[in-house]
Amino acid sequence: MSRANAHPAHALAPAGSWRLALGPARSGRSILLDKRACAANLLLAVALLAACVASLCLGEVSIAPRAAIAGLFGYGDGMDVFVVQQLRATRLLAGVLSGGAFALAGCLMQTLARNRLATPGIIGLDNGATAFAVASVLGVGLGIAPPAMALVGASVATAIAFGLAGGIGTQGYRFLVAGIGVGAAFDAITRLMLARSAIDAANAAYPWTVGSLNGVGALALNMLAVGLVIGLIGAAALARALGVVRFSEGVAQGLGIRVGHIRLGALVLSVGLTALAVAVAGPVGLIALIGPEVARHLSSRRGVPLMGSTLAGALLMVVADLAGRVLFSPIEIPVGLISTVVGAPVLLWILLRPGHKIGV
Amino acid sequence: MTVPFDAPPLSLTSPLQAEKLCVTYGRRPVLSGLDIAFPRDQVTAIVGPNGCGKSTLLSALARLHTPQAGRIALEGRDIRSYGARELARALALLPQSVTAPEGLTAAELIRFGRQPHQSWLRQWSAEDGAVVDAALAAADLQALAHRPLEAMSGGQRQRAWIAMAIAQQTPVLLLDEPTTALDLGHAIEVFELVRDLAAEGKTVVMVLHDLGNACRYADHLVAMRDGCVVAAGPPSEIVSRELVRELYGVDCTLVTDTDTGAPLLANVRRAR
Repeated sequence: MSRANAHPAHALAPAGSWRLALGPARSGRSILLDKRACAANLLLAVALLAACVASLCLGEVSIAPRAAIAGLFGYGDGMDVFVVQQLRATRLLAGVLSGGAFALAGCLMQTLARNRLATPGIIGLDNGATAFAVASVLGVGLGIAPPAMALVGASVATAIAFGLAGGIGTQGYRFLVAGIGVGAAFDAITRLMLARSAIDAANAAYPWTVGSLNGVGALALNMLAVGLVIGLIGAAALARALGVVRFSEGVAQGLGIRVGHIRLGALVLSVGLTALAVAVAGPVGLIALIGPEVARHLSSRRGVPLMGSTLAGALLMVVADLAGRVLFSPIEIPVGLISTVVGAPVLLWILLRPGHKIGV
Repeated sequence: MTVPFDAPPLSLTSPLQAEKLCVTYGRRPVLSGLDIAFPRDQVTAIVGPNGCGKSTLLSALARLHTPQAGRIALEGRDIRSYGARELARALALLPQSVTAPEGLTAAELIRFGRQPHQSWLRQWSAEDGAVVDAALAAADLQALAHRPLEAMSGGQRQRAWIAMAIAQQTPVLLLDEPTTALDLGHAIEVFELVRDLAAEGKTVVMVLHDLGNACRYADHLVAMRDGCVVAAGPPSEIVSRELVRELYGVDCTLVTDTDTGAPLLANVRRAR
C-alpha cells in the first residue's frame, strides 16, 4: 500500500472540514475550510449579489435587471446608463463597503471583548466619529476632511472608554458601561454643535447624524475601500487566534495565544473600520450588531465568522438602503433609521432570549 | 548544607521548580519566597486552606502571573525565556473556572488543544488527528465526541477539558481544582484519569482543597499556608495530626487505609 493511500485526504480532515493540502501529507502543510462556514458565506454572497442587482433596478425609475447590468458597464439605453452609473452604482458601492466594514468591526470587537453587546456603535465609537466629522463639516476646529476626523473621533472615544474602564475586564462589561457613557457624551456634543450653528450648516451636517448613503464623497469611499481590504487581510491573519480568544483568558494563554496582542490588533482594526464606515454612511451602528448575529447563526461555532459577518453586514446595508428608497418613494428614509427599526428588536432578543449566554 | 556527591541534579528528577518565588496582588504578598520542586512523572497535589496562595502558585507556574522576585525553571530553563507557543507545548494548564464558545462539541474543544502545534499554513496534520483521537480515548469520551459541552454532565465536561490539555501533548500538566463542583463518582473519574496520565509519563500538578483525596491520589503532597510551603513529601510521610491542625485548625484521628497505605482522616472536629 502506498503512503498516499495510508493517509487519504478525506480521512485526514476533522469532522465538518475540508483539508486543503499545501504539501505532502507528512509536512502537515494545509489549510482547513469549515464546510458550514463555506456554505454560509456562499449563501450570503449569492443573496448579496441578488440584493445588489435589485438595488440597481429599483427606485423612482425601474429598470429591468438585464438593462441595469448592461447599464452598469455603459451599454444600452443612455438614460439607463446614467441612472445606474451616476445615481445608483456609487450609492450601492457605499452600502456594500460600509455595511461590510461595520459588521466586520462589530464581529472583531464582540470577539475581543467576549460579549455580543460590545459593538462599536454601542460603546460610543460611532458617536465619537460622528461628533468629530460634524465638527469638520461645520468648520469647527481644523479643516481636516471628515473621514480623517471620523478616524480621530473614533480613536479618541475608544481611548477614553478604555482609560475609564482600565482595560477590557471580565467579558468586557466595564468597557461596555464606560463606552455607553462616552457615546452619550459625544452624542450630546454633536447636538450642541448642531444647535449652535447656522441652519444651512446644520442641514449640511444632518445626514451625518442619522446615517445616510445619499451624496457620498469620493475620498471617503476610496479610503473605506482600501480600509476594508486591509481590514479583511488583518482579520484573516488574526482569525485562528481570535477563535481561541473566545475562551476564558487563562485557557487562551495556556494554549499559547498572546491574548493582549491579539485583542489590541483586533481593536485597532475595529476602530479603523468603524471610523471609515461612519465617514461614508454615518452612524449606522446596529449593522455591527445584526450582521455578526446573522453570520453566527448560519456559520459553525468552530471559528469566528469574520467573512460571514462582512457579507451579512453588506447585505443588510444594501437591503436597508433599498427599503428606505423604495418603501415610501418618493420620500427617502435614511438607512440609519431603517437599521435602527430592524436592529432594536435584535438587540432586545440578544438580551432576553432564554437559555443563552451573552458570550460569543 | 552539603549535597551528596552522587545525587542527580535536581533538573533530572524534577521538570518544574520554583526558587524564592514572590508574587503580590497590589501590596498584599501572596507568595513569599517559596521554594518548590515537583517530582517527574508523578502526581503532586498542592493543598492548604483557602487563600494560602495555591492557585496563585499554579498560575505563576503557567506564567499567568509575573513574579516580583524569584524564578521558575521548566526543564532547567527559566520560563520567561520560552515563547508563548513553545511554553504551551511544554506545559498545559487547566484553570479552575473555564468558559468555551457556545455550542462547541467535545471533539471540537479537544481540537483546540492542538493550537500550539499548528500555524496558519499548518492547520491540520495526520498527527493532529491521531492525538485528538487518543485524547478522546484517554478521557473515555469517544461515544460523546460530537455532543455539545452544554449537553454533558459535569464530570464528562471536565474530562473533555482535561482531554484538551492532554491533546497539547505536554510533559507537564497543571490542574486547578479539577474536581470542584463534581459529585463523588465524577470526581473519582477525574482522579483515575489523572493517575493514568502519570502512569503514562506525565508530570501532573493539581491544586486540591480536599486533603483526603490528595492523600489517596497523589504521590507527592505539598502543604501550603500563608504563601509558604509548610511540608512537602509523600502523603504517608508528611501527613500528621499536627500538620492537619496547622493547615486547617482542626483536630482529627489519622488511620491508614489498609488497601492503599494512604493516610485517612477520621473524626475531624474543630480544634480546642
